[in-house]
Amino acid sequence: MVCVGIGCLILLLRLWYLQILEGDRYLTLSTNNRLRLRVVEAPRGFILDRNGEAMVENRPTFDLYATPEDVTNPAEVTGVLADILQIPASEIEARLAEGRTRPYQPLLLRKDLDEAMMVAVEERRIDLPGINLRIRPVRAYPSGGTAANLLGYVSEVNQSQLQREEYRNFRPGENLGQSGVERRYDAFIRGVDGGEQIEVDARGRTLRLVNRDEPQSGSNVFLTIDRKIQEAAEAAFIGKKGTVVAMNPTTGEILAMVSRPSFDPNLFAQRLSGEEWRRIATDTSHPLQNRAFQAQYPPGSIFKLIVAIAGLESGALTPETRFNCSGQFYLGNVKFDDWKKGGHGTLDLRRAIVNSCNVYFYQAGLRVGIDEIVRVSRAFGLGEPPGLGLGDEAKGNLPNPQPKRRGQPNWTAGNTVIASIGQGMVVTSPMQILAMVSAIANGGTIYRPFVVKKIVSLSGDVLEVYEPEAMRQVNVNPETLAFMRQAMLGVVNEGTGQRSKVPGLPIGGKTGTAQVVKKGEEKRSADVKDHAWFASFAPVDNPQLAVVVLVENGGFGGAVAAPVAKAVYEAAFKDRLPGARQAIVESKEVEDEEED
Amino acid sequence: MFDRRLLTYFDWGFACTILGMGCLGVLSIYSANALTTSPFRQTLHLRQLTWLAAGLVVLFLACTGSYRNLSRFAYVIFGASMLMLLVVLVLGKTGLGAQRWIRIGGIAFQPSEFMKLSLVLFLARYFDDHRETLHQPKTMLLPAGLTLLTALLVLKQPDLGTALLLVFISLSMMLLLGLHWRYLLPLAIGGGVLTPLMWTLLKDYQRRRILVFLNPELDPLGASYHIAQSKIAVGSGGAFGKGWLAASQSQLNFLPMNHTDFLFAVLAEQWGFVGSLLVLLVYVYLITRGFQIAMESADFFASLLATGISAMLAIQVFINVAMVLGLLPVVGIPLPLLSYGGSSLLTTMLSLGLLLNIHMRRFMY
Repeated sequence: MVCVGIGCLILLLRLWYLQILEGDRYLTLSTNNRLRLRVVEAPRGFILDRNGEAMVENRPTFDLYATPEDVTNPAEVTGVLADILQIPASEIEARLAEGRTRPYQPLLLRKDLDEAMMVAVEERRIDLPGINLRIRPVRAYPSGGTAANLLGYVSEVNQSQLQREEYRNFRPGENLGQSGVERRYDAFIRGVDGGEQIEVDARGRTLRLVNRDEPQSGSNVFLTIDRKIQEAAEAAFIGKKGTVVAMNPTTGEILAMVSRPSFDPNLFAQRLSGEEWRRIATDTSHPLQNRAFQAQYPPGSIFKLIVAIAGLESGALTPETRFNCSGQFYLGNVKFDDWKKGGHGTLDLRRAIVNSCNVYFYQAGLRVGIDEIVRVSRAFGLGEPPGLGLGDEAKGNLPNPQPKRRGQPNWTAGNTVIASIGQGMVVTSPMQILAMVSAIANGGTIYRPFVVKKIVSLSGDVLEVYEPEAMRQVNVNPETLAFMRQAMLGVVNEGTGQRSKVPGLPIGGKTGTAQVVKKGEEKRSADVKDHAWFASFAPVDNPQLAVVVLVENGGFGGAVAAPVAKAVYEAAFKDRLPGARQAIVESKEVEDEEED
Repeated sequence: MFDRRLLTYFDWGFACTILGMGCLGVLSIYSANALTTSPFRQTLHLRQLTWLAAGLVVLFLACTGSYRNLSRFAYVIFGASMLMLLVVLVLGKTGLGAQRWIRIGGIAFQPSEFMKLSLVLFLARYFDDHRETLHQPKTMLLPAGLTLLTALLVLKQPDLGTALLLVFISLSMMLLLGLHWRYLLPLAIGGGVLTPLMWTLLKDYQRRRILVFLNPELDPLGASYHIAQSKIAVGSGGAFGKGWLAASQSQLNFLPMNHTDFLFAVLAEQWGFVGSLLVLLVYVYLITRGFQIAMESADFFASLLATGISAMLAIQVFINVAMVLGLLPVVGIPLPLLSYGGSSLLTTMLSLGLLLNIHMRRFMY
């Protein structure tokens, strides 16, 4: 009883204090001055290249907001705004009507006002009660639109995402990384939004800031990308479709990744109209696809590397194995052509690779057998996703000589002949080819390709460090790979890949020209050119960089793709030629110092 | 056989007061949501009216059989309540980020609400069974342990308010048993040790709320915003209030959860100091009447049960109102009879029905 009495007394005293003693003050607070809440968006972290050069940063923009409750003269306000923003008044009316359910919640009318609009809004402040400008950071891309597919874009969380469990903590209108690095590392990049409690007057104008919870900026992501190499690759690829990927073959660090056609990430950072979005999303050339690992193509002559390794490993071929090339090859009475009319004459294995002789590999493939070719393909990672972790990855396709489904035609020797030059059932992504070439270069280790080195918080704490990961060691004779490297050196020095030659830098490469055969279309039409491939690494005796180029419908690999690779090597080894050996070793030492 | 004498002992005044408070709750919920355009919230007062009708049925049902039958099933009921809490943890429906509800035939039900009464029932039966050894500390070990266990289960949901409430109910019943301070001392020390432990069990937002209470500058958007807005609503009511449906502060979206945990702020803004005083006095009447019923009851079990129920009511009212007035941290405890919520209302009605039951049978042995 006593307790009840005391408790009641405490509450009554408090009520007396709040309602009688302080009542007037609170009454004023509740009528004239009103407390409002608003979110202060946290700036997203930067995305920087391996040397700390920014590739994605932020710039300030101004957004136009309306607080429906404070818009005392909606008719006039919509009129003035329609004038300034150059949009129909009905659109603004509709937007204001949407906000009626939450009259105190500021409503976004227009994102990213340009200079003229801002000035106009400021000038007509008096006629625009309840209308506010707010500053907000948006994404900016100091290196232009380079690596857009890799970096990804940022846009508002969409309706279908909001309905999913994993997005339940997002508010409508909140920004979110939607692809590439922005999406994969969004949790680190996004930061924590802050908030403000502000006191506004009866017209909704800010009187004073009562309280502010500072937003916490997101963390900075350091890529493995080298902006210098990236930009060189982009420049060399202007006007082309396809992809350029460069990787350190001894670690798996991606140094450059170009995918074209691409998109302008600035479009997403600013306002993107529904129409523009539809145009990008439904573009038949798929600008949002990252061709480096999301597209797949027949490898063409690149695949001869696999056939050669399979032959050397199984003993079916030796470096001395010779076949004659007369320009064509008959299996029964079916004729298979070489790309060179008149043929290459009699060649050994090295010369067959150097000159990319089809007829040699038709016969070599038959001797090695499709089973062994597929086995070695798998060992080098073909037919499975490379494990980059940036969204969907193409896993390619390998022939299946033992069809499991009935009704499927049996595997024929003709199929093996076609597969031996990387056509037919063989399909690979450029990233798979890069991993394969890197394994040839580094002695048979398949590294997981990765694009992020480390993530560092704003206060400088290193949150995550990503180390090279050797996924597996291919069981292959070191001599076999040494032979392959010398043969590939020959390709560049004296064979089909000469147009990638960089003075002072020994490059090993392999060209490929993949026929574009669409389904149901046996003969390729004249207007569709072949895909041009070039897969390479350098320096041959101490590989530090591997580059794969694919130009869609580019024509001959040696003519179209090899020069792009050359530009990448020149950029990467520019300061170090002819002493190219220290190239990446040097930068490694620098990193070690940083970590200490 | 129904004894006609029972009717003469039925406390009509008590029952009518309960009904009146229930109606006040419905009206306040209506006014709290009068300006909302959310179709769901516009119907909340009708839902509450339905709950109130159901609550009245429960109230009268609780009076029919003798409470002594309840004593027999006390342990079973407690066990079943524990089981329901576990079920909630496993497959509970998530509401406002917490797992508190289970669904039975389309009706969401909050077992932690019912647990409060089950715990009182259990303790009453247990102390009744052990009345010879009440002075021995070891008798208290089992109830103390089980109380902590249930509190932990509720805390895990996470529902800090109800978890604390369970501990307080248990403590107050032990206190009212006349427990010597020598026994309470170890409890106090135990509590002192457990508090840091509990702190680690709390969710981030719960910790924030407590920290914010200690330092309101800390988080302007979350919990301190509630407190600030609630104080403005209450204070702006002044001496006589702004009148029904005229409480701008609590009606507009300034005050979150205005129809549930912060309903008292709506009342205080509308009816001012005078209205708030009246409402508090009604609660004092209900609570003191409860303790009176406990003292007049026919047996020890009934006395314990009535004491527990009255204490439960008193603690809930105190914590809720103190929270609204900014005296205590924001913990989710509804105001009995007034706040929106079926589980809470039904549990309260059931508890008050048991009080009436005990009162009716005070001369019957």
